[in-house]
Amino acid sequence: MKVLTPTVLTYLKVVILVATVPAIVGFVIVLAERRFMGFMQGRLGPNRVGPKGTLQGLADLLKLVTKEDITPAKAEKAVHFLSPVLAVIPALTALAVIPFGPPIKIGRVSTPLWVADINIGLLFILAITSIGVYGIILGGWSSNNKYSLLGGLRSAAQLVSYEVPMGLALVSVLLMTRSLSMVEIVQRQQATHLWFVFPGLLAFFLYFVSGVAETNRNPFDLPEAESELVSGFNTEYSGVKFAFFFLGEYTGMIIISCVAVTVFFGGWLPPFPNVPALDFLSIVPPFAWFLLKVGFFIFCYIWFRTTFPRYRFDQLMALGWKWMIPISLANILIVALAILWTPGRTDGLVRLSWIFGGLFVLLFLLAKLRQKLARRDRLAAEPTSAQTVRG
Amino acid sequence: MTDERISQAEREEAASFAERAKAAAAAAGSAAAGRAAGEPPTLFDVQEMELNFGPQHPSTHGVLRIVLRVDGEKILEAKPDIGYLHRGTEKLFETETYPMGIPHTDRMDYVAAATNNHAFCLTIEKLLGVEIPRRAQLIRVMLDELQRLSSHLVWLGTSGLDLGAVTPFWYAFREREQILDFFEEYCGARLTLNCMRIGGLPFDLTPGWTARLLEFVDDLPSRIDDYEQLLTDNRIWKKRTVGIGVISAEECIEYGLTGPILRGSGVEWDLRRAQPYECYEELDFAIPTRQNGDTYDRYIVRVQEMRQSVRILRQCLDRLEEGEIRGKVPRVIKPPAQEVYASIESPKGELGFYCVSNGSNRPYRMHCRPPSFINLQALPRLAKGHLISDLVALIGTIDIVLGEVDR
Amino acid sequence: MALKRWLDKLALLDLFDGLGVTGRHFFKKKVTIQYPEQKKVPSDRFRGMFRLDEERCIKCTLCAIECPINIIYIDFHNEKNSQGKSVKVLDRFDVDLKRCMFCQLCEEACPTVPKSIWLTTKTYEMAAYDRNESLYLDIRKLVDWQAAPNVKPFTVIEQG
Repeated sequence: MKVLTPTVLTYLKVVILVATVPAIVGFVIVLAERRFMGFMQGRLGPNRVGPKGTLQGLADLLKLVTKEDITPAKAEKAVHFLSPVLAVIPALTALAVIPFGPPIKIGRVSTPLWVADINIGLLFILAITSIGVYGIILGGWSSNNKYSLLGGLRSAAQLVSYEVPMGLALVSVLLMTRSLSMVEIVQRQQATHLWFVFPGLLAFFLYFVSGVAETNRNPFDLPEAESELVSGFNTEYSGVKFAFFFLGEYTGMIIISCVAVTVFFGGWLPPFPNVPALDFLSIVPPFAWFLLKVGFFIFCYIWFRTTFPRYRFDQLMALGWKWMIPISLANILIVALAILWTPGRTDGLVRLSWIFGGLFVLLFLLAKLRQKLARRDRLAAEPTSAQTVRG
Repeated sequence: MTDERISQAEREEAASFAERAKAAAAAAGSAAAGRAAGEPPTLFDVQEMELNFGPQHPSTHGVLRIVLRVDGEKILEAKPDIGYLHRGTEKLFETETYPMGIPHTDRMDYVAAATNNHAFCLTIEKLLGVEIPRRAQLIRVMLDELQRLSSHLVWLGTSGLDLGAVTPFWYAFREREQILDFFEEYCGARLTLNCMRIGGLPFDLTPGWTARLLEFVDDLPSRIDDYEQLLTDNRIWKKRTVGIGVISAEECIEYGLTGPILRGSGVEWDLRRAQPYECYEELDFAIPTRQNGDTYDRYIVRVQEMRQSVRILRQCLDRLEEGEIRGKVPRVIKPPAQEVYASIESPKGELGFYCVSNGSNRPYRMHCRPPSFINLQALPRLAKGHLISDLVALIGTIDIVLGEVDR
Repeated sequence: MALKRWLDKLALLDLFDGLGVTGRHFFKKKVTIQYPEQKKVPSDRFRGMFRLDEERCIKCTLCAIECPINIIYIDFHNEKNSQGKSVKVLDRFDVDLKRCMFCQLCEEACPTVPKSIWLTTKTYEMAAYDRNESLYLDIRKLVDWQAAPNVKPFTVIEQG
């Protein structure tokens, strides 16, 4: 159809993204988080509101929208109004460069499944999500509440600190992809028959842990924990403004997962895309593969939240600056050496993948073995009453 | 005190508070360079802040108010302010007869009600010189140990929750539900048990109770393994608890702390071994003790105590025999005029009752030595120098129940 | 020994163990009982809502004396019955449900066999929207719960 020019299609895709992603966050992710957390804790999550609780998101949305909008008396009204917006818009904007799938053909119209493929896609995402920090700082400051301010500043410090190892981890992947464009990253993974998670195993761990810290999620959620003195920067926000902060955080989760999938796990590619025997895997459309992988990472977010206690703020910062940055710098060196091992070919990277994978599996198995032996020894020496249990 | 005098005292206190705050602000203000005198201090000048932690707070385990003096986030002084849950229990004891006081003791340490009942009954039995039949002794020990498990499970869950680990809470309460079911079957209530009477017990065990308890007790060590797998070796948990709230053995004894706090600091003192009551002398169990006296050690001590409770329960179930469940007690209890103190090892420490009788059927004075109240004294000492984020860990590790602190 | 702990730390074993525990529980059977469609049956000795049998009651007021919170109010007067004997007739037997702590001391004190006031009714649903009307039970409501609509009986066990 003549009217469906590429420009119109782009606008259409933007509209679809902005309409569906918050809906998915509200309906699917929030429900999934509460249900899955419940399952892991031995209970059912919310299951009353719709069949199996599917309309819980709607109930939450209606509740938040109909709540009274409170602005503290001496707060900066304009900034108080704008900071939730500043928290949510960058997260939604970053979705523009994420490739959800290869170009598809509907009838006579062929369009790629991304809004824009700019040649600095990855840098664009990092830059735009950094703007979200403004929303948090201004949110904390404009509440006229010294605890909100402190909470906001802490949160901002955490976000800014963890951007460094995140960026450095991605740099090591850039050495392999040689391009910042998200689409080209996926295509390069197809060309080299190698998902970049294998040579970049360490980079992936660093990236994902930094990503969890970036979105203020457990185990790094001290700035917004309920059992602390304040609820952080969003104490004074209620109703739709709180909903926006919430939406910003969860959209950030989606962005981190999408980038992890694109850069490390082959984007829309099925596993082993170039092996003819496994061609049946492409029955599942690429878009669905992408969503499956992103869904798995969101599940990991929920899994981490359910399992781990939270770090104290100074320990959190120490972890970022004293451990993750040196390790990510070392990782860049290692990947560079692997590439130079076999210049011009990717064999060096393949060997690195085997080394990393083998090392990790070996370490894990050795540790498990040691644990089993230690448990057996401990059970054999059960204390009797004559001795006390000295730890 | 008339109302006028009360408000006068309050007014004086408020005035002195305001004066102190002004003085601090003035001191901070004059310390700042290059500002005109008389201007209110900005956030950058104020060095010390006085904050209120509670009484409404998700982590204070009840209505506890702590007045904190902080420098940034470092705690300089933490003063607990209690009394929000005071219900005049000790006065109520004086106005009622001895048996009528037992339901009131349930509500003191409401997490471990059977131990409260037990201590109360022991005191009066000591006054009267009543001997408790063996079956009653064994069942009392079983109820006590079940209660110890229950209390430590609550502690584990809420402690984890305060530090961000949300899951052990649910697992611990799932086990606790089963324990509460045992109590419900035995005495009819889950929390405020009223499950002991002077001289013994109100009822005998229902058929099948012991078999089901044995099943539960066999299942429990693997559940405790689950909690340990989640927390004990976890690096984040260790970071939050190792080295936090260290107290030495001498200080513990000076403050009069008892229970897992004392045993976590290296003093091997457990009333069940040191001053045995009921049939603890013939039971075989270990006293977990650790040396460092920090939060992590107290955590380990309590988890080990749960395992030892399982041992004790198994032994009691083995030794259970037929017999009476109530000793010979006069119908109207009128102890001779004397004073007596009796104490037991409750999950939180040494729980004792000091009774002064005057020959009538009501006590002249019944004073309770609550372990949480005495242990709470240590909070200012433990909190000094730590961060506000550690304060929640410390309140959890002392394991207080406000019903006991305030009575 | 230190090397082996270092090995655990490097391999992130503690974190994976924790993830394993929650992952395992994801697939286990859940213990939730979905109230109000499913309800737990209280035990036989469960101390629930109390009930009075006026005929068995001998008006000894022992329950009122034993109650630790003094919420049982009993009034009676003497009358001559058809045989000319002096019997006690209940004027008032009120229990203040707001303050009852269900300790069962009243039931223990009751000397009649079977008891005239008993708590083993397995009933615990007695919430009300107003405090004083529904939560102060006079003798009509105590004897037959039909008059007290906020009390929803589970099963009523005749004390035996």
